[in-house]
Amino acid sequence: MSWRSTSPGKCILMAGEGVKMDILAEAADVPTHRLVPFRWPSNWTNPRLVELLEGGPINCVLFDRLQSANAVQTAVRKAGFSVREWETLGAAALSDVQWNSASPIIPISNLVWPRIKSAPRRAPDDVAAGPTRAAWIDSNCWVARLASVRAPGKQIWLDCKPPADEESPNANVYCAAIADAAASGARWIVSLHDGLGKGLAEGDPDSLGTWRSMRNMLAFFEQHRDWSNYEPSGSLGVLSSFSGENEFMGQEVLNLASRRNLMYRILDTSTVLRQSLTGLKGILHVDNDPPNAELTARLAAFARAGGLLILPRALASTFAGERPIPCPVPGYELRSFGSGTLATATQEWDDPYFLAAQVHSLVRRRNDPVLLFNARSLWEHYSVVPGGRALLQLVGFTGRPTRSVSVAAARASGSATMYTPDSGTPVVLQPVEVEGRTEYHLPSFSVYAALEFRS
Amino acid sequence: VNKENQMSDKIRRRGLLSSALVAAAGAGALPRVALPVEAPAPPVALARCDSYGAALVPTLRTMFDQIGGLGRLVNGKTVAIKVNLTGSPGSRLGYTPIGCTTWTHPALIGATVHLMGLAGAKRIRLLESPWMSAEPIEEHMSGSGWDPMAFANAARNVEFENTNYLGYGKKYVRLEVPNGGHLFSAYDLNHSYEDCDVFVSLAKMKEHSTAGITLSMKNCFGITPCTIYGDRAGEDEPSLLPRGGRYPIHSGYRQPSKSAPQEIDPNSPRDGGYRVPRCIADLVAARPIHLAVIDGIEASTGGEGVGRSTKHVKPGVLVAGLNAVGVDAVGTAVMGFDPMAERGAPPFEHGDNTLRLGEELGVGTRDLSRIEVIGPRISEVVFDFRKAGGVPRRARPPSHDRPSPPRG
Repeated sequence: MSWRSTSPGKCILMAGEGVKMDILAEAADVPTHRLVPFRWPSNWTNPRLVELLEGGPINCVLFDRLQSANAVQTAVRKAGFSVREWETLGAAALSDVQWNSASPIIPISNLVWPRIKSAPRRAPDDVAAGPTRAAWIDSNCWVARLASVRAPGKQIWLDCKPPADEESPNANVYCAAIADAAASGARWIVSLHDGLGKGLAEGDPDSLGTWRSMRNMLAFFEQHRDWSNYEPSGSLGVLSSFSGENEFMGQEVLNLASRRNLMYRILDTSTVLRQSLTGLKGILHVDNDPPNAELTARLAAFARAGGLLILPRALASTFAGERPIPCPVPGYELRSFGSGTLATATQEWDDPYFLAAQVHSLVRRRNDPVLLFNARSLWEHYSVVPGGRALLQLVGFTGRPTRSVSVAAARASGSATMYTPDSGTPVVLQPVEVEGRTEYHLPSFSVYAALEFRS
Repeated sequence: VNKENQMSDKIRRRGLLSSALVAAAGAGALPRVALPVEAPAPPVALARCDSYGAALVPTLRTMFDQIGGLGRLVNGKTVAIKVNLTGSPGSRLGYTPIGCTTWTHPALIGATVHLMGLAGAKRIRLLESPWMSAEPIEEHMSGSGWDPMAFANAARNVEFENTNYLGYGKKYVRLEVPNGGHLFSAYDLNHSYEDCDVFVSLAKMKEHSTAGITLSMKNCFGITPCTIYGDRAGEDEPSLLPRGGRYPIHSGYRQPSKSAPQEIDPNSPRDGGYRVPRCIADLVAARPIHLAVIDGIEASTGGEGVGRSTKHVKPGVLVAGLNAVGVDAVGTAVMGFDPMAERGAPPFEHGDNTLRLGEELGVGTRDLSRIEVIGPRISEVVFDFRKAGGVPRRARPPSHDRPSPPRG
């Protein structure tokens, strides 16, 4: 990989085996939606360190405080970067975000560090696991997606840092953090572990290698920024206020639905009346609070038209079901409702893991737009744009290359093209007939892959 | 019938008679037999079958005819088929579909259901207790890309039931282990294991890191509901839904729900290699298998999961018979192992020989000299799993620590 500047404020990145792109023009004047933020380490006091940023995708530098006579900040400005002050950016925890603020950027803080969670007091290479022994993944993707619903059109910046009390992460871990945000249309505010910051300042070759990988990953997503225009798609709509008493269950269902390849769309109580329900097979009403009259009518119309409405026990009397239907999923009572169905829980929901699993059975796996194999440590994002194109993004958190991942698409696709930052060249995947359906066998990739299906 | 394995007419008749007695006892038509003087040894059908294609149905039909015919067994009866769908449906060995490695292949399930329908089965239930899950079996199958409707359409009145919890039943049924049992004297199970006239184990040929082999007997380890025998099972009563795996049976770190029979000897070894084979033997004695079928057309070496010794292989064989111990003895030999081997010798490096434990309970014999094998000689179809794969690693001791509340 190499970097070369062609003119002040404009650069071309040449990465890997052929990623070539015009990144930015006149960085300081970059429109908000193209800003790629970097949190300048407070202990980087040498102005020459700005050279690490030059010629790369980062074009916005965040300082803790802006100071008029600061040599570093002067050098950064002089190099053509947009400069912002962290203190005035207004970063807030998810529950405290001012969604209606005038700022075109929504920075969200207090987030998890994306990764497979380490298990305390076990072998160093061990990982924490859920009850299915599936690795336990911390991800912020659902935060980004929820934020996009609450603040459509705004730029979502995610603020999370590598844990300071742990060793500096390797390149793949940083790249997973970048991909975790970018796959949901957000941006990670690039923040370095002290160890990496120190290594870069000292010119350590390993640190520089990590940095090159990060820049490559960032550049890849800027090259494919149009993917953020794809709309999340899935058979399930998850409806909640995702706040207050509903915060834990609502947010964890989003988290865990992603883990089991249950593709969903977020329906936020505050915005659902403006959101389309087209294409949904079912809606999960997570909250025990009864919907208002307008929302009740909308949900009833959805079910009467053939949809499945999944309700907590507390709302059993809100919708009057008709004929009882045998229910194969324990813990639910099914009743017909017009052309559709009401599924009402017979017990309180107390565990989002099981709720996600039950809901998946209720909406039926056969309605999943894609079926994945050997993807348990991958986070999946499925989105579509009008015109028959669909995008499946896969983010890996293990830090190791994937092995033998395969994908079956529910609907026939004319072609499937795979993009990875590992290789600048897209790969047209050959369809494979497996047990009567078409699958694509994915070549190994390190952290991230996107499959674009075209009809 | 090959001469090498041909037994005397006397033994053959005795075997058939014993088999019929066991089958009848399992169906509830006769009281359970007392400890037999000699374990039953009905004939076992063995066949080459290289693929799950067009040859499968005629091959299977011939095998069923060789062991007495399906009609005699299932006509007018409710048949329960325990299939092996262990592990996550989304997991594969490489790019190979799971039915070619660790699950019973869907074509074999479909073919069996189809032939049973033709033979007059009144109702056919496909049963499995997927890992800590209460999801409908149809959904579990869909997760691997299968179309459960293909099974539903293969015969009349095909049903599915997840037996990992109460399922469609009103209460659990208690099945006692004849002759006392090794680990438990009786087991509380989903109703479908009693509400059937004929019980079938439709198994995969594979190795297992604890039990050594997974054939028709080991397949029945999964009939235990995790609401009673699993992690986070109810203390006094079964939990409503399964919330963990079967670690308690492996390690004995806790007892089943108090509503169920407790261990015979709580001071017995807390070793999976001791406990798992005994539990399996108990279960196949308590819930006799009337028809055992082993899918060895395609399989995997090295036990379930992915390891250095785990490889997709194509032994190209099917084994079927009316006695699970006898069928598994033949299957063990086909895999290149000695069914008479004791703990320490392959494939029982890490656990006791389940076949011997079943034999001790009077279920059947593992002595190949007493089993008539119909079809090719074992030596003609043997597929050495160790040469093809390697020695499976010992399973990691199951953790007694329960995971934190599940999240991401």
